Amino acid sequence: MSEARDTIFAALEAARPAGPDAPPAPMSGPPMPDAPFDVMASRLAQNGGRLVRSTRANWAQEIEWPRARADLEHLYSARRGGDARQSGDLACRGVGLITDDVHALAPLEVCILEAEFSVVENGASWHVPQSPQERAAALLAEHLVVLVAATEIVPSLHEAYARIDLFAGPFGWFLSGPSKTADIEQALVLGAHGPKTMQLVVLDDAHP
Amino acid sequence: MGHVDRAREFVRDEARTRWHDESLWFVRAKRDLAADTVPDWEALRSQAAGIKREALTRLPALWREFEDQAHAAGAVVHWARDADEHNRVVAGLLEERDITRVVKSKSMLTEECGLNPFLEDRGIEIIDTDLGERIVQLRNESPSHIIMPAIHLKRGEIGELFHQEMDSPAGLDDPNELTAIARLDLRERFLAAEAGITGINFAVAETGSFVVVTNEGNADLGTALPRLHIACVGLEKIVPKARDLAPFLRLLARSATGQPISTYTSHFRSPRPAESGAGPAPELHIVVVDNGRSRLLAEPGFQEALACIRCGACLNTCPVYRRSGGHSYGTTIPGPIGSVLEPSRDPSAHAELPHACSLCGSCTDVCPVHVPLHHQLLTWRSHLARQGHHPRRRRWALGLAAVLFAKPALYRGVTRIGRGIARRLPTALLDKFGGAWTRQRELPPIPRRSFREQLADRESATTPRATVERKSR
Amino acid sequence: MRLALFVPCYVDQLRPRIGFAALDLLRSAGCEVEVPGDVLCCGQPFHSAGEAESAQSLGHRFMTRFDRFDAIVVPSGSCVSTLREHLAANEEPAAAEVAARTFELSEFLAERWDSPSLTHPIPRRVGLHSSCHALRELRLGTPSETREPVRPDPAAMLLDRIPGIERIDLTRRDECCGFGGLFSVEEEAVSVRMGLDRLEDHAKGRAEILTSTDISCLMHLEGLARRREQSVEFLHLAELLAASAFGEEWLAAHDEDTHGPR
Repeated sequence: MSEARDTIFAALEAARPAGPDAPPAPMSGPPMPDAPFDVMASRLAQNGGRLVRSTRANWAQEIEWPRARADLEHLYSARRGGDARQSGDLACRGVGLITDDVHALAPLEVCILEAEFSVVENGASWHVPQSPQERAAALLAEHLVVLVAATEIVPSLHEAYARIDLFAGPFGWFLSGPSKTADIEQALVLGAHGPKTMQLVVLDDAHP
Repeated sequence: MGHVDRAREFVRDEARTRWHDESLWFVRAKRDLAADTVPDWEALRSQAAGIKREALTRLPALWREFEDQAHAAGAVVHWARDADEHNRVVAGLLEERDITRVVKSKSMLTEECGLNPFLEDRGIEIIDTDLGERIVQLRNESPSHIIMPAIHLKRGEIGELFHQEMDSPAGLDDPNELTAIARLDLRERFLAAEAGITGINFAVAETGSFVVVTNEGNADLGTALPRLHIACVGLEKIVPKARDLAPFLRLLARSATGQPISTYTSHFRSPRPAESGAGPAPELHIVVVDNGRSRLLAEPGFQEALACIRCGACLNTCPVYRRSGGHSYGTTIPGPIGSVLEPSRDPSAHAELPHACSLCGSCTDVCPVHVPLHHQLLTWRSHLARQGHHPRRRRWALGLAAVLFAKPALYRGVTRIGRGIARRLPTALLDKFGGAWTRQRELPPIPRRSFREQLADRESATTPRATVERKSR
Repeated sequence: MRLALFVPCYVDQLRPRIGFAALDLLRSAGCEVEVPGDVLCCGQPFHSAGEAESAQSLGHRFMTRFDRFDAIVVPSGSCVSTLREHLAANEEPAAAEVAARTFELSEFLAERWDSPSLTHPIPRRVGLHSSCHALRELRLGTPSETREPVRPDPAAMLLDRIPGIERIDLTRRDECCGFGGLFSVEEEAVSVRMGLDRLEDHAKGRAEILTSTDISCLMHLEGLARRREQSVEFLHLAELLAASAFGEEWLAAHDEDTHGPR
């Protein structure tokens, strides 16, 4: 194994390709547009997602549910600091209570996540799963709901990477819609392997 | 049978060629619309190209940094000199753990190395989970496009395939229904898998992280459930810093399909934390592969091709690819970038490929990282000519032409005679000598006198024309 | 200004009228024009076949022969692009200078010299085919792929000055015609398919005349059109401009007796 490594490094050293002495200076991205949530909504819609503007108090009443909230059997709600939204009919239930086998999450109907921030230019949200269950739940659930604070938006990925600390954990991802494919004659199909719908709920206590 | 013959076969079906061409052009058009929404599009291309070019000058340092960081994070890094070594490393990891059920997300590198047949020979089941790849896997064929593996197939054909391979009802052709069938089948595979193999879009030296992007989320399902994640990467796919990901990710999905970003942009660094309960702890293994890349790096004419981020834009825009299909190329990666990369592996087998190109230059103009593709194809032509891979007749004909062009008097004489003969030959005979030109085209009309002959006749017959006085400016 | 007109080999042999059109246009624009007789080829067939040595020697011959002129004008985008590429690879100082003074005809007429007055109307629908060399190598115009600052196409600019002309739009603005030199015979099937698709695009726009800065593209398209007995006319840009500058009778007067189906 280390013989392979040595050979490869020797070949790379010997190649001596020409090129610039230094990388280009880091570039800044486009400025924050006027009406950023309109732009974000449109970009998210291109990927099959839906943006909903709401408040912390009301969002559960204002988004779409596959069926009545109280009738959902299997729900996973990400827990961030014991917030009130993890109680009542938004509390984890059914397989959403399983903590030790990610495979058991397969029947999950809804998964609710909290993202750190969203990116206006492409409608993507940065999410850091707090556990293997949270990541698996986001993939296995039929419907995905992602909550993000309206104050936590950046114009583009340039600012996003200034905020992200990749050293902080084993995994992080940008989510920008439901699982989708266009592999059959380029016809867009939502719900390839993962969630069939994705709603990004922008929480803004100033929002009417 | 090379590209010429396969392309001829492909083009015979005019309706299907038109359909294939329109399908790919549609993706090119979506890419154009996406580029319209990015005011700094050209600045992004230059930035991404600059980052790659500089990174290629110090790959050893970058990979050392990556390896240190990855190890600190709990991942294991392996090295493979060639395809066979890559396959043996992957098989070894699986066999050591008695793993026989594997899922794989899209990785052109593993295609290049022939991983699937290698593992299957060893009794390991490997399921491609990208829907397009699953479809071609079931058909026992290779992907015809690096982003849309089944772009060459119609929905009815896929319906028929699922009927045969997955017992679905006959006659289905609705993409939603067909995808739903695949969803159920692949869901079971994900849940049963013991290992997930992925490719890597970008490795980040600074943090030992790597990024895998998909729309389907299959790379994530394939690594969130099984305990073993093996990520395979070509040694050109590394960038120095995390912030470098921004320009590449702003360019990649837009160039590939016209989307602002892929649905899932996953950043891996460590094995996932163990779940409570019995069972082996999750592991993350990274296999870094050379397989001819260091050789390409040493070639000044071709090293820029290693900047490629595998977006597929050059395939979508190539008028030849659109009208001949990926399978005409006989390579792992078809289209312009494939015709640049593949001849380095086996020049004699792929000597035709740099000529499967009209040198239009559209590929170079869509490439997000400024790979000068059509110039590199031209460079390949001179390399291959020098290595003796060009047909003798072509070289002979050109040699003769070179002599004529160097001797004006001889040129005049030979061409006058040639034109005279051509004007007198019956059309049928002329068509025969016209060779491939006249199969579907008329020859251009042949003038009695060339331009130079007419000019010479004028100047000797008449007084010299007065030069028009140049207007004072 | 002492100008040289370089007439490419295939114009010389197959469409001499283009040479005369260029000559007369340049002279009517007030230039002193010479046509050196002993440089016959820019080297492009060799260059694109990968025969580097032959290509280089022809490029060198061009450089030494044309060094003494203030400008060299060529009625072919592909020849100019080949010459500039050769000369760029040549390290002699004369090479860069000659390259800087070599222009494609429409580039020269539209950008560097007031165009000849185009007074005779041509009330026809005209399709302009963008030659890939002129567009993507010489950047005469803006390729549809990039988002560079827009640069007008000099050929389009000149055509739009012709009274009565209607320049059509295409669904694919700058797709390749499929000629590509030896590609046209080596990958004949795909080349033909590409050409037929271009003709169809122009037919959608009801083009009566197809024109271009490059006769090589036009000969390929015309060959396809004639075999299918399509009625569209093919004129090189220089010929079309000459018809507007000097009257349509100029075309008939310079129509060397040709042999072949028309």
